[in-house]
Amino acid sequence: MSAPHSSAEGHAPQHPVRAALPPALADSIIDEVTHGHQTGLFVRTPDQRPILEHLRLAQGFEFLKDVTAIDLLGRDALERFQVVYVLCRITDQTTIRLHAWLPEEVESVPSVVDLWDSARWGERETHDMFGIVFDGNPDLRRLLMPEDFPAFPLLKDYPLTGQGERRQFPLVRPRGAEMVEEAPGPYPVSIGRGMHTPEYIEEVKRESKPREE
Amino acid sequence: MSPSRGKSSSLRFAGGTPVPSAATLEREFAAGARPGHHQNIFEVEDEGSQRLVMNFGPQHPATHGTLRNIFTLDGETIVEADVEIGYLHTGFEKLGEGMTYQQWVTVTDRMNYLSAMNNNVGYAVAVEELLGIEVPPRCQALRVILCELSRIADHVLCVGLQGMDLGAFSVMLWAFEKRELVYDIIEAVCGARLTTSWTRIGGIIRDVPEFFPDLVYQFLDEFPKLHKEIHLMLSGNRIFKDRVQGVGVVSREQALSWGISGPIARASGLDLDVRRDRPYLGYDQYRFEVPVHPDGDSWARYLQRMAEIEQSLEIIRQAMATLPTGPVVHEDFKTSLPTKHNVHTDMESLIHHFKLVMLGHGIRPKENAMLYSSTEAPCGELGFFIVSDGSDTAWRIRIRPPSLYNYAIFPRIAEGIMLSDSVAILSSFHIIAGELDR
Repeated sequence: MSAPHSSAEGHAPQHPVRAALPPALADSIIDEVTHGHQTGLFVRTPDQRPILEHLRLAQGFEFLKDVTAIDLLGRDALERFQVVYVLCRITDQTTIRLHAWLPEEVESVPSVVDLWDSARWGERETHDMFGIVFDGNPDLRRLLMPEDFPAFPLLKDYPLTGQGERRQFPLVRPRGAEMVEEAPGPYPVSIGRGMHTPEYIEEVKRESKPREE
Repeated sequence: MSPSRGKSSSLRFAGGTPVPSAATLEREFAAGARPGHHQNIFEVEDEGSQRLVMNFGPQHPATHGTLRNIFTLDGETIVEADVEIGYLHTGFEKLGEGMTYQQWVTVTDRMNYLSAMNNNVGYAVAVEELLGIEVPPRCQALRVILCELSRIADHVLCVGLQGMDLGAFSVMLWAFEKRELVYDIIEAVCGARLTTSWTRIGGIIRDVPEFFPDLVYQFLDEFPKLHKEIHLMLSGNRIFKDRVQGVGVVSREQALSWGISGPIARASGLDLDVRRDRPYLGYDQYRFEVPVHPDGDSWARYLQRMAEIEQSLEIIRQAMATLPTGPVVHEDFKTSLPTKHNVHTDMESLIHHFKLVMLGHGIRPKENAMLYSSTEAPCGELGFFIVSDGSDTAWRIRIRPPSLYNYAIFPRIAEGIMLSDSVAILSSFHIIAGELDR
């Protein structure tokens, strides 16, 4: 699979929103992809904050439609995550997406709650589902999952089966003629702080283990 | 033998302990003991404080679903509000990563269960835009008609429930009665009432039955009477007006910043409507207005929905008058399912059907194609952000539910108002929990 970014920069005509950026900000855009009626601009992670500020304050993108993320684990991609902002300028109905590449080891991305209030729950849900921490968002509690839920379900390494009690038991698999016991696999750990630190996960596992002798 | 009076009660718990009398409980309470089951209902912070924390929901008839509001009350005034959502979370987005594009249509029914057609159509439009195909004109017109019918059913139910929450119970019953006309039509075209699964990528299940125009024209005849009756019942009703006027004001700036869309945004003077701003399904062929109210209170939201019902009726009239004939499924069978009749009688169609339905073949958008596509659902802007990895299942499907962004502002609006007003606001916001939690 090829990367969702290519080095076609400079050949195709630029999107007017990108052309209106000041040169310092326009340099940080590493890619521009148009599909259908919509254009996505790609940047690396801390760079999206000044661009979003410019879009909001100077270019009139007053409507933040959505904040979400994509987990590209296992793909031939630049980094593991993309944080996606869908913006709309309501005067001429220009809709544009800004994708911020986020490496797995980076702890947090800057929040934009001071620019748009709709980012409050958008970022909160993205944190809930991906564990991405938005630095500056005052309320990053769990939104849809229970408060004591230890994992982040939209990560690609979140197991679809075997979650819960089944993890408490060793796995018995046939190997040749005999049956071999295997320890359960490691708990999915990904970026972010707080609920999914290894200590917290150990604590949850210990507390939910009913048959320890 | 008469029971002896003056002795302790003969009621006993399962363990044999006698149940304490009310007087005993009262005495214990005065001495400082707090019964355990009361702790969930209220807690006294300190001596002399009147504040109590109250759970408003998730099981309260006025919350219209599993919404939990945690209100800190001072007397009857809400001083602090918090909401907890997620009681209906079923992982639709995660399901989308394991199901093919056609299969996931059934999941969209469960989002806004009052107008499942709009979700079906919104999702189908999103995938079709991702694939770059356009459905035939008859399919477009039928989708518009069914979408607007569902929108009317959704709006009229919201208005009815708004009346019910404030004491006008008969409005809700009338709304439910006439809403059945819409469900009769939906049942005639797809066989189901609520979970419709009517659209397919590139078309719809099958063409509508012959008597479809009769049903729609019957609806167009009968529904305006109800619309007029609701106006007579509520628009001049002093009790209703006193409860909703000036209550729960959302300003235009707030609506813009909080990402509010749909009737709530338009009732706050924010002139946004995807049908007009970025026409899909040939909405630009129909003449309709987008009503806007500047006030932003619950009363404006009521009037807004009533005005939008009129416009939807107008769109249905125009679409029925100009309903084209022809196929209802896109002709490229690399992306659209052939009709059932052809599958049974035609070898080519059977092969196409097999290829589309078998896991691992199906519809394959271009690798790394991604698109955010939105349609106007009754609650607001319903967006689907689909990322393809070139296979027949999406890499990621993000739903942008209107209710989520509409509801985020609710704690802010609820702070500082009376408890009874929160019911008037919540019913005018029309939050659908299935769509909110997904």
